[in-house]
Amino acid sequence: MIKRRKWKLSWVRSRGIPILLSLVVSAASAQQQVGQLEGEFRLNGKETWKAFDPVREVLQESSAVVYDGWKSIAYGVVVSSDGYLVTKASEIEGVEELSVRVNREHFKKVRVVSSTVEWDVALLKVEAQGLPVIEWAEPEPSHGTWVISNGSTTRRDRRLRVGIISANARKVGEGRAPVVLGVTLDTSGEEEGLPVKEVQKDSGASEAGLKSGDVILEMEGRPVRSMEDLQELLGSKEPGDRIQVRLRRDGEDLELEVELKRRESVFEEKKTRNDAMSGRVSKRRSDFPRVLQTDLPLSVRSVGGPLLNLEGHCVGMNIARANRCETYAIPAKELRAIVENLTGDEQAGSAAE
Amino acid sequence: MKKHRFTGLWLFCFSVWSLGCCLISAAEEVEEDRQYFNEKEVPENLRDLRNIQKALQETLPQARAATVSIDLGGGSGSGVIVSGKGLVLTAAHVSAGVGKEMTVIMEDGTKHKAVSLGLVASTDAAMIQIMEEGVFPYVELDRGDSASLGDWVYALGHSGGFEKERGVGVRIGRLVRMAEQTINSDCNLIGGDSGGPLFNMKGRLIGIHSRVGASLEQNMHVPLREFLKNWDAMLAKEFVGKGPFAQEAVAFLGVSTEDREEGGIVIKEVGDKTPAADAGLQEGDVILMLNGNELDGAEQFSASLKGFKPGQKVKLKILRDDKEKEVEVELGEK
Repeated sequence: MIKRRKWKLSWVRSRGIPILLSLVVSAASAQQQVGQLEGEFRLNGKETWKAFDPVREVLQESSAVVYDGWKSIAYGVVVSSDGYLVTKASEIEGVEELSVRVNREHFKKVRVVSSTVEWDVALLKVEAQGLPVIEWAEPEPSHGTWVISNGSTTRRDRRLRVGIISANARKVGEGRAPVVLGVTLDTSGEEEGLPVKEVQKDSGASEAGLKSGDVILEMEGRPVRSMEDLQELLGSKEPGDRIQVRLRRDGEDLELEVELKRRESVFEEKKTRNDAMSGRVSKRRSDFPRVLQTDLPLSVRSVGGPLLNLEGHCVGMNIARANRCETYAIPAKELRAIVENLTGDEQAGSAAE
Repeated sequence: MKKHRFTGLWLFCFSVWSLGCCLISAAEEVEEDRQYFNEKEVPENLRDLRNIQKALQETLPQARAATVSIDLGGGSGSGVIVSGKGLVLTAAHVSAGVGKEMTVIMEDGTKHKAVSLGLVASTDAAMIQIMEEGVFPYVELDRGDSASLGDWVYALGHSGGFEKERGVGVRIGRLVRMAEQTINSDCNLIGGDSGGPLFNMKGRLIGIHSRVGASLEQNMHVPLREFLKNWDAMLAKEFVGKGPFAQEAVAFLGVSTEDREEGGIVIKEVGDKTPAADAGLQEGDVILMLNGNELDGAEQFSASLKGFKPGQKVKLKILRDDKEKEVEVELGEK
């Protein structure tokens, strides 16, 4: 039998005595207890987590810890028994010493198979056999449904965080392309192209030598006359793609090749008052085609793993810590399609080899 | 275990209380039992968790329907409708005064004009009233003040302002600290949630969001009892208590004055578009009396004005071109 402890109340020192008195006085009418609930009994306290233990088992077996050297940087979802995993792509970008742990097994050889910048998901492959694959949940969870995800980890054990579905599933952001040239444009004029106002530092545009005052005429041989033209062209691109840009400078036309980079690595986001009270948030936390919203108190390093319901089935994959009270997850339905696309690419690729 | 520890007291309380109820009125509704999961230190298994989830989901639709975003022009907060006629509870730092106009937005985007009633500046409680006719969705109050430390609760609010696609945000937690004028939960709040409702798992209102601390677990709410205690005063549009959550509007005349040896005070300057200018006061006028009381200094005059509220009318006896004259001025708001 579970050992039961008494309530742990820690009295607020400055008010302890008067409150205690009022407690006695009002006990008959309201059973008003005054004090504090110890950390382990709170929503995300270790005593509360015990009831979720059957679900934690699923995290233990079918979630992955993604490391850069010794440091855990993200989690992942096991989507095939032979070692395919998905994780948050922008969190593993540029990582040199990538390794993965599933349950207690450490895989030091990890291949980044493919990725989608639209969803910020990367497909990884490790050499494994017989991994327990995540089970998909149906239908989509409604508001107030318990959700469970990776919170922290030791070498042996996965620990969880719990919360609920908080809001309507929806698109977040303004539908901007996730990759950029790295320029701000003047769209007010009537000119035939798009004049460059400023070139961002460390962007593909600045590396290619674009300058303020250049007028962008064509990209990949197609005329660009509006922001919409530009967004449409960039919408299908991945970071690292190189794109031909024809522009006019001082009356002369020239052609440059510009590397596309992730929006969040080039443009700094404006910080709002709410961001100031949110702690660290994911670098990429917007412009997703559709997300579930939860109140899971995740750190930026604990996204990428599966979002489970009380049955231990996967309702989604945590994709961004957005602010103090909002965490986003890619819904299971969309995630399954993403996994199919990414693994499909891989198989098509190997068939062609 | 808590259940055992309190059983004796419980039985005793219950018998005294039920006896009292019988004596007072047989028709009085007997208070329902507390939900069993709130009597446990922590949920023990998936069944307990499912019951918490079920209780939340059964009461959530009505709670969402009654939760509103309050648009103040420059900023926004949240609130909750507590009567079919559109009485809304919110935080004093959201309504920010008495008689102010604002817009209330329902989750589906419907907008209603509203005006602030009274508030309690010291504890952050406030009321506003929707001005349009209609039958509004509303929530029940936890009138019995049943909230206890450790109870499972949920918070609603329009975090960061109204967003139609997202709708109202719901967050789960427990009551983690209880003090007389503030209760804390570990339901995470952010700007825009202020004034939004905190519910128990029966969907009854137990508090209104007020502020957050640095840690994620410091989310502070005004307990409902603070509203109940000041209910009539707030309905009567009173400004109760002093700061820090709202500052009382100061009555404003719009003149600068100085002392006068012969008695009364002299107007040195009349501000443009001020109540004084509207009433025709001029530079050089001497104010002899305020509502029949003689004035003997500029300082005393401005101190007396502070005793009035914006919108109140005062009678001034003035001296202009050696002639005495009565002027009535409606005081404005600074």
